[in-house]
Order: sequence, then C-alpha cells, then structure tokens
Amino acid sequence: MRILSWVYLCLAYAFVFLPVVVLVVFSFQDGRLPVPPFHGFSLQWYEKILSDTGLMTALWHSALVAFISSALALVMGFLAAHALARVRLPGSVLLRGVLIAPMTVSYLIIALGLLTLFNQTGIKLSLWTAGIGHVVINLPLCFAMAYAAMGDHQKTAERAARDLGATEAQVLWLISAPMLAPALAAAFFLSVTFSWDEFIIAFLLTRFDVTLPVEIWSMLRSGLSPATNAVGSLVFLVSITAVVATEVFVLRRAK
Amino acid sequence: MSLASQERTLARGLVAPAVLWTLAFFVVPFLAMLALSFAHMEGRKIVQGFDPGNYLRAFGDWSQLKALINSVEITLTVTVISVLLAWPLAAIIAWRVPQRFQRLALLLAVLPFWTSYVVRSYSWLLVLGKNGVINQALMGLGIVAEPLALASTRTATVIGFVHFFVMLLTLTIYANLVQLSPNYARAAQDLGAGRWATFAHVILPLTLPGVITGAFVTFVLCIGDYITPQILGGNTELTLPQLIMLQMGRSGNFPMASALSVILMAVVSLAYAGCSRWLRLDRV
Amino acid sequence: MTASVSIQSVTQTYGAAIALNDVSLDIAAGEFVVLLGPSGCGKTTLLNLIGGFAEPVAGRILIGGRDMAGVGPAQRPTTTVFQDYALFPHMTLAQNVGFGLRMRGMGRDQRRAKAEEMLDLVGLPAKSDRRPHELSGGQRQRVALARALAVAPDVLLLDEPLGALDLKLRRAMQDELKAIQRRVGTTFVHVTHDQEEAMAIADRIVVMNAGKIADLGPPRQVYLHPQSLFSAAFMGEINQIPVQDGQSPFGPIAGATGTLLIRPEAIGLSGTLPLGPCRILDAAFFGTHLRAHVAPQAAPDLCLTVHLPPTSTITAGEVLTLAATDFVFLEA
Repeated sequence: MRILSWVYLCLAYAFVFLPVVVLVVFSFQDGRLPVPPFHGFSLQWYEKILSDTGLMTALWHSALVAFISSALALVMGFLAAHALARVRLPGSVLLRGVLIAPMTVSYLIIALGLLTLFNQTGIKLSLWTAGIGHVVINLPLCFAMAYAAMGDHQKTAERAARDLGATEAQVLWLISAPMLAPALAAAFFLSVTFSWDEFIIAFLLTRFDVTLPVEIWSMLRSGLSPATNAVGSLVFLVSITAVVATEVFVLRRAK
Repeated sequence: MSLASQERTLARGLVAPAVLWTLAFFVVPFLAMLALSFAHMEGRKIVQGFDPGNYLRAFGDWSQLKALINSVEITLTVTVISVLLAWPLAAIIAWRVPQRFQRLALLLAVLPFWTSYVVRSYSWLLVLGKNGVINQALMGLGIVAEPLALASTRTATVIGFVHFFVMLLTLTIYANLVQLSPNYARAAQDLGAGRWATFAHVILPLTLPGVITGAFVTFVLCIGDYITPQILGGNTELTLPQLIMLQMGRSGNFPMASALSVILMAVVSLAYAGCSRWLRLDRV
Repeated sequence: MTASVSIQSVTQTYGAAIALNDVSLDIAAGEFVVLLGPSGCGKTTLLNLIGGFAEPVAGRILIGGRDMAGVGPAQRPTTTVFQDYALFPHMTLAQNVGFGLRMRGMGRDQRRAKAEEMLDLVGLPAKSDRRPHELSGGQRQRVALARALAVAPDVLLLDEPLGALDLKLRRAMQDELKAIQRRVGTTFVHVTHDQEEAMAIADRIVVMNAGKIADLGPPRQVYLHPQSLFSAAFMGEINQIPVQDGQSPFGPIAGATGTLLIRPEAIGLSGTLPLGPCRILDAAFFGTHLRAHVAPQAAPDLCLTVHLPPTSTITAGEVLTLAATDFVFLEA
C-alpha cells in the first residue's frame, strides 16, 4: 500500500510538471519550433523577447494595473470589513452578501457587463477600464480576508487606543492596519497574483494599451514559437522567486 | 447624536466606497446586461422591452444549444476526473508524507500554478500537438506510425482543464484533510474499525463537504473559461464562453452574447442549488 | 469485563527526547488508577502505549497476562476516552455509541438497544437521536464514555477527560466516573494533572515526573507519606526544611541528611514537633482555613506556609508559638 502511494505521488508530479518542463526546455531551443527534436541550447529567444518593446510595455502595464487595482481593492475592502466587523448595521448581512457576490460570477460575465456599461455610457476602453474590472474581482477577496482576520485581540487593542484618545483615523492607521498586516499582505499578494495573470477582463476592456496576458495571447495567434516559451518561462521564474522569497523572508520571520 | 448612532454613521461611511463600487461596476453592469439580453440587433442595438428572441434562439438553434451541452458535459467530466485524481494526491501528502516535507510536497504539486494561465494551456499544445512531445515520443519508439490527433480535440481541452484543477483541488482538499482532528480516526480504530471502515464511516463523511465545495469551485471556473477550450479545443465544437465571445467579436451581437451569459449564470446557480446542502459550514 | 495491566520496563523516545524511562507498573483488574503529573511527564505517552497507538522502544506491556507487542488499537481489549471526545459529528448519539458494536458485527436493532442502555448508564436517556453539536461539553463527555464502555473493554483509558469542564461540573463528573467504574468493574486508567481530581477518584495514584514514576500508592499514602520531594510538592502545598546530620533548626530529627516535610494544615498551636515562636508575615482568609506565612525565630530565613483555623484572629507582625502534629523525613 505504501509503495502504491509513492508511485501515485511520482506519477502525479510527472503529470503536473510535464507541460512546464516542456515549456522551459524548449524556450532554449536553437531552432524555429518549440517542439522535439531539441536542436541545441540558445538564448536567442530570451534576447528577442527582452528587446520586444511591445512585450516590455505590456509587462509594465500589467504591473501598473495589478498594483493599483489591488491597492484600491485592499483599502476599500479593509475599511468595509473593519466597519462591518465592529458595528452592527441594519442590513449587515445583505451588505456582506453584496460585497462577496462578484466572487461567484465568471470573469467573462463581469467583463461583458462592464463592456456593456462602458459602451452605453461612452467611456473609452483603456488600462483604467481593465483596472476597474480587476478591482471588482479582487474587492470581495480583500474584504473576505480582512473580515476573517478581524479578531478580539485586535478589537480590544483598538478599544484601548480610543480610550487613550486616538481618533478613528489614527486607530485604523496606527493600530488596526499594523495588527492585521499579515492578512492584509496576503490579500494584497493574492490580488496582485490574480490581476497579473488575468486575461478575459483585460482582453475585453482594453484597446490599445494592453496587459501581458493579452500580449501573450496575440503572440499565440501567430503560431507556436519558442519566444512564447521564453515569455512563459520568465513569468514562471519571476513568480516562483517572488513566492519563495515571501516564504523565506516574510513567513519564516513571522515564525 | 448618540454615541451609537455616531458609530453607525461612521461605519456607513467606511463601508460606502466598497459598496458603491460593487453597485456601480458589478450590479449595474449586470442589470444592463440583463436588459440588453432582451434586445435584438438591427445594425444598431435597440432596447425592445421584453423580446425573448435571443433566449429562444439559444435553446432552439441546435448550434447554440450544442455549445451549452458541450460546456456542461466537459465541465462535469473535468470536475469528476479532477476530484478523483486530486483526492488521493492530497491524502498522500497529508498522511503519508512526513510532517516536515508536507509543505514542500504541496508546493511542488501546485508549482505550475505560477505559470501564466494562458501559457500553461499553450504548453499543452506543445505536448499534445502533431509535432508535440507525446507524438514524437510515440513515433520515435515505433508505437505509432502516424501522429495521433490529440490537440484540437475535446480530449485536449479536458486534459488541459484537469491539469489545472487537479492542482487547485489538491490544495483545497489538503487544507480540508489537514484540519481534521486525528482523534476521529484513532477513535474509530480504537473501537475496532479497520482501515477501510475508518475511511468509509468517518473520514469520507467528514471531509465530503470540503471536497464538494472544491468541486463546485472547479465547476464554476471551468464552465466559464474561454482560454483553454479556445487554445486546445480546435474549431469542431464550441463551448458556451467561446460562443459568447464569437457573438461579440464577429457579429458584434451584444444582445445575444448577453443572453448567453445570463444562461451561463443560470447554470451556475443551478449547480449551487444542487450543492448548497454541503456548502454550508459543517459543524464539528 | 476487566483485566490486569502489567507495564514492564517500558522506555519510549521521540527522537532524542526520552518520554518514558524504564517504567514498570502493575495494575490489578478492576482498579481505578490515576496517572498524575505535570505536562511532559509521560503520563499521556504511557496511556497511548497501553492503548496501542504506539509501540514502546523497549519493554513489554501485558493486558490480562497477554503480551500486546504488535497488537493494534483495534485488536486490544482497551478503549479510550479522548481529551476532545472525538465524537463523530455526522452521526447521532446512538450511532456514535453503537459504532464499536457495529465494527464487531452486531445487528442494528441489538446495537440500538445496547446504545440506549449505555446512554442510560451515563445519565443521558431519551437523547439517542440527537447529534453531538446539540449537547453541552459535559454531556458530550458522557457520550464519549458510553461509546467507550459499549464494547465492554477490559481496560478503559481516559485522557484528561474532565479538562474542558468547569469546576462544579468536574466535581460532579468525578463522582459519576467513580460510581460507574464501581458498577461495571472495568479497570480504569485515568490521566490528569489535577491532584485534587486524582485524590477524589483514584484507588491508587501514580505520580509521574520526567518519564519516571515519582510515587505510587493510595491517595492517603501519597499525600501524607510522600516518597519523593517531587510528589510531596505536587500533591499540595508543603513546607520543606533542610536537615543536616540529624539536626534541623527545630531540634534533632531521626535521620541523617535530607529534608523535613510538613503540610501547612499539620502546623498549629500544639503538636509533637515544636517550631518555637514564629512571626506572622501575612495572613489571608480562605474560607476553610486562614492561610498565613510565618518566619520562625529558630530559622528566620525560612518562610513557612501555615493553615490555621478560620476563626483565628491574627495580624501581621504578631508572634505565635507553633508546633507540627505530623511530618515526614526524606533522605537526600
């Protein structure tokens, strides 16, 4: 039974890693097609994509949209969570439901809805419209995570601060936010991750300035190329490095 | 103003931005889309009260209905296969892998999550394509003479989906298994239950709600996905998201696309209704 | 049913840490034994070894004369009441209690009848179809007990079962546990860190410390005649007075070098061992007694804890002549 478990584990890992290994290996292909046979080791495709201004601009756009939309989602989500956790408003349950609702809807539909709205109100498509869409998908996440993190420990600390004369703004900035920092950081990190990789909303709601996934999509239109492999491998590498770094520096230190 | 009502006003003020944003950019657009679904095309869009034409077409026209059927079939297949594959993986990591390696084992199992979703689907093309890794390996070993048509098929779409959702489900099922008190299994054994009896009577029922929640999330994400079927599915059959995009792109038929989107949401709601019994927090 | 338990030179390690160090103990059939000690003393480890959840690194465990090496929990004639009860949340009380019987192949009607009988025994009649989450902590504890007893084990193991209950409920449950044990006659091995609980229910107390047995015997013996400094201090407040070559600050003591042990309640205005005049440092009323700290003039560096009758009216600074009525000398 034990051996069966280890065999299954190995097979599972093989399945999970297969496409990624193929992706990375053939990003170094010395040849035109990212498929076997492997002709030789070459960095030409990495050079090509790193000098591709379209890609680099899209990368920059992705970062902008991700960070700004995530920051906005985090601030609004945190404030809402703080308020709803502390004060019993009439209709709290309804409000919570409304804020969480977008999590259950496909991104395609959210994108379509926004597209309809922007068309009807004459708002032009741009990175901003894509950013608005990303806030919509990340706000429920930030709200939920902040809400779940609110606990008695932090509530009593806030009470003590108010008792000592702090204004609400000071309480939020000096007490609540720092105490909830791990949960807020996690929510921000997740939001950035979702926004960074998000395709359909960005695709439908941008026009000339695009994000990285949209740019990669248009690369796919022109067929298989090791350049795509190179982009994918770089994104993969950067993402893993970020995750490992977070794990090592942030989470280890917290222990 | 009393202290309590001051607090309430402040709270309302703090909640307002989030609620307003959601209303403006989620609720209103959805309502607009809903209204649009009852319009029809005449070169330009005309809001025509209650014209259910789009919905009738969606169910009456075979090519449209087929897309819905394809989506449901593919999604159910993917969900079942992914759960069946992910459950043992999560269980092995939770209970067989030594404690100090569990985090690493889990991380390895979901590492490809961090490739871009688009690129991840693309990389299955490299594996399943006519010149892809699998075909070249099979031909190289002499097992087949002609390359197999693996890519651009429903099978490829399913494989591409299963690859993603096995990782997602492994994460969620693992989290569920790990928070199960080990004393339940010990108590069962203590009272005379063997391995299988412990699993069937205790472990399975207690972890089922978590598994079903994961399966539901898989269902929702899978049925609404445009990317994987578009890259791996080929042009012979379409899924609902692909049909929606088609209606928008080529013909600019927003009303039709809206109607199809509403139908997609309805399917998801039905699935939610079906699972809701387990989706409540379980009492432990 | 019931059986004896024999623990022979058992050692258990977790990596480099020694949890049990060559422990031997004989428990008679039908005895109510309490393993008492602080966290990390090895009492829970010992319980787990008896239950079969782990195998000792060295030594043997016999139940009813049979060597239990290689025998898993399912096959051992023991059942355990876990600290968090581990009631199956998705089953009714009757199904929970009947689970062990189901594993033994008993039919449904028989199981239900037996389950109701057991729930009756623990004081929960007419609740068979409820679920665990509908019950209070104390009620859940009884269900866990009923479930463990339903399969008529030879030995019942209890892992700090009363820890989650409040004081009043705990006292009530202690009495009930004792009564139930007398009724069914099964050997009970009960783990706790509460010495009052131990004294309330045990036939014999096994005081454990750092993987070894520090003392062993009926409650009266362990409290009044402790065999180690550790067990003396663990069983309750105690005054420790150094004795050097038969000499103590209060006169000669039969014995050489070691420690003189006197319980606070053994010190009063008269007794066999005079302590001489003592200055009261402070006093606090505790209901059943007046607890005072005193410094004897014969040994001004010592601070003795004394329990005086609750009607005493003394104040700090007063000097009282005290004597001990009972004491124990432990060789160093």
